[in-house]
Amino acid sequence: MRSLSVQGVSKYFGNVKALDGVDLFVKPGELMVIMGPSGCGKTTLLLVILGALKPDKGSILLGDEDITNLPIEERNISYVPQDFGLFPHLNVYENIAFGLKVKGYPRSEIDKIVRSLLEIVGLEGLEKRKPRELSGGQKQRVALARALAIKPSLLLLDEPLSNIDEMTKSEVISNLKDLQRKIGVTTLCVMHNPEDAFKFGDRIAIMYSGKIMQCGEPEEILREPKNDIVKRLIAPMYILWNWNKS
Amino acid sequence: MSDKLEVAIKLMASAVIAYMFISILYLYVAVGEKWNLVLNALFDNRVHGAIVISVSSAFFVGFLAVVAAIPVAYILTYSNIRGKHILEMFLIDLPQTFPPVTEGLVYLLLFGRFGLAYTYVAVIIAKFYVSAPFTISFAARRFYEIKESGVDVIARSLGAKTSHILSRILLPMTFRDLIAGFSLTWARAMGELAATLIFAGAIPWVTETLPALIYLASRESPEVAIAASIITESLSIAALLSFRFIARKGE
Ligand SMILES: Nc1ncnc2c1ncn2[C@@H]1O[C@H](COP(=O)(O)OP(=O)(O)OP(=O)(O)O)[C@@H](O)[C@H]1O
Ligand SMILES: [Mg+2]
Repeated sequence: MRSLSVQGVSKYFGNVKALDGVDLFVKPGELMVIMGPSGCGKTTLLLVILGALKPDKGSILLGDEDITNLPIEERNISYVPQDFGLFPHLNVYENIAFGLKVKGYPRSEIDKIVRSLLEIVGLEGLEKRKPRELSGGQKQRVALARALAIKPSLLLLDEPLSNIDEMTKSEVISNLKDLQRKIGVTTLCVMHNPEDAFKFGDRIAIMYSGKIMQCGEPEEILREPKNDIVKRLIAPMYILWNWNKS
Repeated sequence: MSDKLEVAIKLMASAVIAYMFISILYLYVAVGEKWNLVLNALFDNRVHGAIVISVSSAFFVGFLAVVAAIPVAYILTYSNIRGKHILEMFLIDLPQTFPPVTEGLVYLLLFGRFGLAYTYVAVIIAKFYVSAPFTISFAARRFYEIKESGVDVIARSLGAKTSHILSRILLPMTFRDLIAGFSLTWARAMGELAATLIFAGAIPWVTETLPALIYLASRESPEVAIAASIITESLSIAALLSFRFIARKGE
């Protein structure tokens, strides 16, 4: 388990300032949710941490190691994008085994790890299926198993609920949460819906226009929203919370 | 339900389709009564030579194009060089539109002094320039799509190095496109005339291809030219159909 520390990170796309001096600390094993409106820079932040984008300013630390200039393949950070990014030409088993194969694990050990992950995410019997033969929820579980197989130092999830229907949402949230606890991997998860974010995160970072507005436990943010922007962004939760209190 | 516009669209499409089919199939009609002359030409030694040279050189060009397409597509997709569009134009658009006569002349001036003119190698060099762009553009387009989808970044995050990205992501995902590119490159190489004729000449069993034979025979012995044309067309149709079949099976 390692902590993540993002220090003064800025990222421009031409004139667009997608990240504007982001500071963020995620404790070892913690589940941190980044919440904010569309276009505020959430995905960009994940991609900078992953190493797919270079920050223009600032640095990123895993534990006490500065990884700002480390190539992606050496960071040991797993990423589950919004569309899950499964390898379309590989079946479920091969998708999950991918990271272990390229890292040169022996076949028997790969098999052991993949089998146990298939069991954990409840996909036994689907090993031979190609991604196009899976439902959205099943794809997500494959992507999660693939991400966890390499025992990452950090797990990045981008909108894990966006392809999940309302009916199964709360089930998926509690399953994800249990899994994260059980494995104990430091996790940074992007969500745009305040209700989901407050149910899911150990702590929440509220992001707006490339900046982190406020970061804290759900209760703490509801009790003391730092400014009007935060109040507006968490409005549904805030109103509900004040209602219950009175 | 079909309104007037739809009827007009269908009519126009039918006209185009008819034009394309007639262009290919009229040859078989034109032969008419002279089937035995064509059959005789099938046993002509010079025709055999042209078949061997055409088909074999087209295969070489196809394989070379696949080998060349992979690094070029990789560079076009992943390098940050400026003016990539210009580079693309020089590698893909220009070779397909450049007058092959001129290209043959260039090679004659450039490689002639090394004794390459009028050799089998010259046939391959001349054909490669006009034919390889099909494979290069197919591979480049697919590599670009893969990059856009982001699976390459995921593969890297899981520990994949460039060699793994190539062997486990890019190449398997591009298999169908390489087959499709290979088949068009092969067919274009089969049809190439001017560059080959100028740079490689038409020496039977060395550099004389089917199009060269057709061109040279069309005046003295038209029946040989027609026979050779029918062979060329039949070979191309059969080959394109089988490549399609292979690409579909390879899924
Ligand atoms: N590759 C890019 N090139 C140019 N601009 C970009 C690029 N990626 C993102 N942006 C811009 O950067 C800003 C932040 O985008 P980002 O994708 O990080 O937002 P987001 O918070 O993930 O939004 P969403 O909730 O809609 O996914 C936006 O203004 C976007 O238009
Ligand atoms: Mg996003």
